[in-house]
Amino acid sequence: MSVSETDSEVSARLEFEQAQRSEGWKLLRGLLRDQRRNLVIGGLIGVTWASFKVAIPQVTKFAINDGIEKNGPLLKWSLIIIGLGVMTGILSGFRRYVAFRESRWAETLLREKLFSHVLGLNIGYHDKAQTGQLMSRASSDLMQIQAFIVMIPITMSNIIQIFAVAAILFITDPVLAIVAMAPLPFVNISARRFSNRIHPISIAVQAEQAQLANVVEESVSGVRVVKGFGAEQVQFDKLEKEADDIFREAMKASKIRSNFLPAIDVLPALGAVGVLGVGGHRVLSGQLSIGDLVAFNVYLTLLVWPLRNIGMIVALGQRAASALVRIHEVLSTNSEITDPTVARDLPSQNGRQLGAVRFDHVQFGYDAERPVLRNFNLDIAAGESIAIVGATASGKSTVARLLLRFYDTDNGHVFLDGVDVRKLKLRELRQQIGVVFEDTVLFNDTVTNNISFAKPDAAQTDLERAAKLAGAHDFILQLPNGYDTVIGERGFSLSGGQRQRIAIARAIISDPRVLVLDDATSAVDPSKEGEIRDAMRTVMSGRTTIVIAHRPGTIALASRVVFIDDQAVAAIGKHEELVATNARYREVLASMQQAKSDTAKAAV
Amino acid sequence: MWQSGGVSDEDRLSRAQARTILGRVLKMAAPFRKMIYLSFACVMVTTTTTLSAPVIVRYGIDAGIRAGDVDALNLSVVLYLVVVSFTYVFGRLLFVFVNRTGESFLRVLRLAVFRQMQRQSMAFFDRNKAGVLVARMTADIESMSELVQFGLLQFLSATLMLIFAIIVLLFLSWQLTLVALIVMPVLVLASIKFQRDSNKAYLTVRERVGTNLSALQEGITTVRVIQAYAQEEEAIRKFKISNRSLFASHEKSVRISTWYFALIEFSGVLASGLMIGIGGWFVHRGTVTLGTVVAFVLLLSSLFDPVQQLSQLYNTVQSAGAALNKLFAILDAKPEVDEHHAAVDLPQTGELKVSDVSFTYVGADSPALRGVSIKVGVGEKLALVGPTGAGKSTLAKLMARLYDPQTGSVEFGGVNLKMATMPSLRERIAVVPQEGFLFNGSIRDNLRIARADATDADIEAAIDAIGATDHFAQFSDGLDTQVRERGSRLSAGERQLVALARAALVDPAVLVLDEATSNLDPGTEAEVEHALERLMAGRTVIVVAHRLSTVQRADHIAVVVDAKIAEYGSHSELLARNGHYAELARAWQKSHAPS
Repeated sequence: MSVSETDSEVSARLEFEQAQRSEGWKLLRGLLRDQRRNLVIGGLIGVTWASFKVAIPQVTKFAINDGIEKNGPLLKWSLIIIGLGVMTGILSGFRRYVAFRESRWAETLLREKLFSHVLGLNIGYHDKAQTGQLMSRASSDLMQIQAFIVMIPITMSNIIQIFAVAAILFITDPVLAIVAMAPLPFVNISARRFSNRIHPISIAVQAEQAQLANVVEESVSGVRVVKGFGAEQVQFDKLEKEADDIFREAMKASKIRSNFLPAIDVLPALGAVGVLGVGGHRVLSGQLSIGDLVAFNVYLTLLVWPLRNIGMIVALGQRAASALVRIHEVLSTNSEITDPTVARDLPSQNGRQLGAVRFDHVQFGYDAERPVLRNFNLDIAAGESIAIVGATASGKSTVARLLLRFYDTDNGHVFLDGVDVRKLKLRELRQQIGVVFEDTVLFNDTVTNNISFAKPDAAQTDLERAAKLAGAHDFILQLPNGYDTVIGERGFSLSGGQRQRIAIARAIISDPRVLVLDDATSAVDPSKEGEIRDAMRTVMSGRTTIVIAHRPGTIALASRVVFIDDQAVAAIGKHEELVATNARYREVLASMQQAKSDTAKAAV
Repeated sequence: MWQSGGVSDEDRLSRAQARTILGRVLKMAAPFRKMIYLSFACVMVTTTTTLSAPVIVRYGIDAGIRAGDVDALNLSVVLYLVVVSFTYVFGRLLFVFVNRTGESFLRVLRLAVFRQMQRQSMAFFDRNKAGVLVARMTADIESMSELVQFGLLQFLSATLMLIFAIIVLLFLSWQLTLVALIVMPVLVLASIKFQRDSNKAYLTVRERVGTNLSALQEGITTVRVIQAYAQEEEAIRKFKISNRSLFASHEKSVRISTWYFALIEFSGVLASGLMIGIGGWFVHRGTVTLGTVVAFVLLLSSLFDPVQQLSQLYNTVQSAGAALNKLFAILDAKPEVDEHHAAVDLPQTGELKVSDVSFTYVGADSPALRGVSIKVGVGEKLALVGPTGAGKSTLAKLMARLYDPQTGSVEFGGVNLKMATMPSLRERIAVVPQEGFLFNGSIRDNLRIARADATDADIEAAIDAIGATDHFAQFSDGLDTQVRERGSRLSAGERQLVALARAALVDPAVLVLDEATSNLDPGTEAEVEHALERLMAGRTVIVVAHRLSTVQRADHIAVVVDAKIAEYGSHSELLARNGHYAELARAWQKSHAPS
């Protein structure tokens, strides 16, 4: 909150926050609608449990008065109490089970909802979103919500318990009831204040721990620098500072704990002292029985936990509310790229070659102020292969992204086989385009599942055909478990070239009309580039292919070169022609060459 | 919740291990001995006062109310009040002392483990994955903080409470104590079983939480691929599998706690029922007083709560023990490359001479270097080339004593590097790794990594020496620009410049370079080249080369193949020989030619 905020700004902000919160609660209500029945059952179990629980001291009192003092039937009383014990035991188990199960279920469903929603959001959203942020929505925020939901049935029974106990105490002896219960509201207040005060400190402790982790992480990852320069002491000093920070915050937390927890423990005891003093005198003057006095003490202990819990649930509710607001924010974001209301179909084969691509007066920028492409026109015939060449950040890769409809053009149209891509179902469009991304992304899964990713129901023969075309079959057979080898970040580690070829196999398995190769050879050992290029050449034949060239060697794969400069198509033609006629092309080529390989210089 | 720790079977400590660890912990905690005694004293006081409350109530009822003695009643009220005040005051102190002790211990542990980790040689870091080492310093130490904040305190007070409660009960009436303890065996057995089952369930939950988070992260980070292939539904289906399996593990663990807590609740009431029945019978026979029975009913929870608490703490204590065991393993690790006790400073300059060196990485099947000998004269430039994994980087590392060879020697100016003092070694021989690795902080801080005592003028001189003054002057904060995490604020080329400036700051006689395999942004590429050239001027240079242009600039080229130097000579000599080198040079040229 800034200091200079005016009253009207404050009220506007509060109003906004209020509106946000009510949206958040609406989300929770909607979420719990299907589980309403179980939650009510949980609540009823809790209420029944609470009434049994409250009955026990009452029965104990009768047992003492009637059974022990008046020589009544002890066995009967004893069995009644044990019977009540069986009931409370069973009911408390069920209450717990229902509360946890339902809260976990709600958490599970909400996580799935969040995941599917995020996965459907347009790429523009993902460009801006931070993975860490989304992850914490789906983990720690959901945890806060779960912690709140689990308290719902418990709170219901707690409230009943408090009222029942209070009623019994007042019926037995109103004066003594007031004495006994006077300190109790403070238990509730303290519990709530404690929870609110300790929360920011625990977050601060976590933040300091994260900073210490950073120092450790960089010291370990950068160990060659540390060792190479003998910088151990420098890093140690940094770590010591972080360790001291953690210590300082932990001491703050300890102070808050010492301020509240012993007080919360002791407050009910003050009531008990009052009961002994005031109650004792009332027994002496004959206004109260001893049994009642004992029961009073027992009842007091029955109030402590419910009051503490209610204090906690208020704080938990506040945290859950902010978590809900954050989750609602994600869920209420709509994808900017969606299926058309009335979708058209792509034309079918009919003996013609398919895969014609046309960009018609396209204008596009990642932010509207700065267009990357302006008046961009390009016709790619079916079956043709073209290489897109341009300086860094000239919009080469953007062309492919527009074709995939990762983004929509600001102006102009993109056509696949004569149909505006916006008129197609996203699924149909994207299934017809096979992409190999610049950074080869593989999943932590088997080779089979990685290749058949685009076509989960692919037969083994299709799979192997794609792998063979991509020049991957042979090395896959060499892997420890062949096609069943788990690869990816946590699996068997492949070389850049091998990853590349698996990505190519994935791109062609569903036999797409258009193939986009965002030249990833930059991640490949120079001596292996030739092999990749061979694989590319094979899969390109007879298929519309757009090669986005980041290094000169790849250009040769295509029959025509499209040279992008100054936000539009600057020239189209054969590589040699362009080299001969276009000075700017030579310049860009040279900068690519200079950056990507000084070998070329040496070789020419 | 009801459980915060868990320990897998292989981490579970044996009795002997547990004893050793306890001993070492006490030794490490020795500086806070006073605080520990104070904590202990406070626990004694609070436990005593908590337990004396029912006794006072009993006195009030029996001697005061039932006997009709007002003074006795009043006395009991005053005593009760005193006891409550004591509980409060010492309860507060207890938190302060226990937390301070615990956090101080964790702080000492953090520093000790990190210092020891830093003393280790490169081989240690090859053996232990970065993630594991970070986990030791974070998760493992943090797993103890719960114990430090609540656990230790609860453990102490629960144990004392249990012992005291039994003593008090025995003192009040041994007959009723036996009655109260009837339920105990069931409770203890149930707690042991619960402890085992819930530990297992907890480990499953923890594992599935991890798997599910990875699945989530994979989904989010690969969204472009998923959308490009229109596989959203498939990805969601897969995520659901892991998400539902996480739910199932949660459900299982709740089920385990369900019966246990039900039983706990039942046993408490059962004990009261027995107390009323059997205790009442004793009262009728005149063996005990009514007040005693009442006190017992009230004291029952002091008997049952500690058992329950201890059983829940058991896992926390176990997992802390397992964490300590791993941390002590680091503290016990001996650094392989260390300063010799009779170490001498290296001479200012001299020839670098590798004689008959062999080296095998720990855990490797075959040696990385086999009987290698090579000489690099003062001011000479040597390029090391060869296939990946042939041993060229290893050779460079040995020449900077990042490792010690198993046989043979590396000498600088006639002094074996093993006999050199560490500071003089780092001053004479500087290593510039492949990627410009940056630390959090400013550019200036990043240079000081190389020489902690460098003045601002030294730093500026170093930047100037590599000709990068103008480049960094463009930044609005100049050399004070924060590089952010891993230097993400800077381009790859700029990071490389910082790395080179570091080396310039040290002003070494020998420079060991690992050339980057990947390419830099065209803008800074030339600047880096230029900086490198200035840095290399007048120095002995050993470069692990990946590019033809670099190799051509070297005086000599050593081709490392299969752990040996296969060819040695100048560029043209080696081309003429038409061997490994000539083949390599051809491959380089081919891959970069446009058509």
